[in-house]
Amino acid sequence: MSSADSPDSDSPSASSAADSPSGPFRAGSRSPNAALLSGAVTILLVAVLVALASNSVRSSHAIDLGRDYFPKRPEVSTSNGSGDSDPTPVVTATDTGDQIPPHPDDGIQRLSFDDARDNFNSAEEEFEATGESIYVFVDARSRELYEESHIPGAAWLYHYESEELIEDLRPELEMAFFVIVYCNGGDCDDSIHLATDLSSLYGIPTENIYVYEGGLNQWVENQMPVTSGTERR
Amino acid sequence: MGRKPDAGDLWNGASLMDIEPLRRLDATGLPLLLARIIVGFTFLYYGAEKIGDPVPFLKSLKGYEVLPLHPSWIINSLAVILPWIEVLCAAALLSGIQLRSAALLTTAMLALFTPMVLKLGLSLVGTEVGFDGLCDVVADCGCGSGKIPICPKLATNCGLLLLSLWILLSRSTRFRGGLGG
Repeated sequence: MSSADSPDSDSPSASSAADSPSGPFRAGSRSPNAALLSGAVTILLVAVLVALASNSVRSSHAIDLGRDYFPKRPEVSTSNGSGDSDPTPVVTATDTGDQIPPHPDDGIQRLSFDDARDNFNSAEEEFEATGESIYVFVDARSRELYEESHIPGAAWLYHYESEELIEDLRPELEMAFFVIVYCNGGDCDDSIHLATDLSSLYGIPTENIYVYEGGLNQWVENQMPVTSGTERR
Repeated sequence: MGRKPDAGDLWNGASLMDIEPLRRLDATGLPLLLARIIVGFTFLYYGAEKIGDPVPFLKSLKGYEVLPLHPSWIINSLAVILPWIEVLCAAALLSGIQLRSAALLTTAMLALFTPMVLKLGLSLVGTEVGFDGLCDVVADCGCGSGKIPICPKLATNCGLLLLSLWILLSRSTRFRGGLGG
């Protein structure tokens, strides 16, 4: 440990330099303020090294430093009326839906509660009849929240760990005609980010992806069924 | 009053600790000890909570809308590194190693984040039912405690800021090393 590192070395009273003939910043010695700053820089450097090392070795909850966790699709203009082909037209839910508030033209299709409920009922009927369904609900929340409660039949695909989880779900998502992503609702926008990634990173057809923005909070408020644990149903 | 500026003064000039009652209080070393324990354990808690699951902190950083989201490595790296700075500062405050440097960092972090929490709180006033004033707002400020009332959080931060400043400016020779001493 250098003298600057000793417990008292950066203490104001530890130095008697002020009383020395050459004053507080005599030649050949580090000023207390320099020691203070160099100590701070040392702490910062150690923190950077430890943080990056621990993040690279941890098996769960690691942050992928290069990944864009908050992707945004380019805004889609629908107002020119020129009839140009639009690769990601905005769809305002299905014709069974109620009024949906306006959203930015980001190409992400939104579902109202009524639409989500109707799709859920259709999914349950289909599943009971055939054992499979063209509707897949996807829960973008953390595992803890998913296990606490989720829409029956929903698959767990935590947005921040989707790269590790997507492969197990890919066949099912590719087969589905309605991939309905949700999170808690309210100010939670993980469902939007996951929907964007499903389309742009994981190759799920954009026209099959929907976001139920009301999320689980609205679902529960409307007394719809939920299930808990790791099982989907 | 009127003492010659100490060589260790942060700004090499008059210090808060030149005020006689504060100087006497500081000389006992007890405020320094108390400040180290409170700030140290608080930062240890804040940092450990975020290290355990950095995603909520990452989302909170985004929520402040002061950092660019692209390139994404900037906000991602901060979400990984900042909690470790908090933990290392806590370790330094509690152990006495690089005490004032750690206090400088905690002071800087609190001085930076407290206005951001205030800005976040003000931005949420009127956005939800019941958020009629700043003290009605409940939000996740990324402090490691989930959604909390903003006003008590601001008061806590101001208190921590004063304690950090005390550690930074203290001239006490007592309780400067390990907590036993």
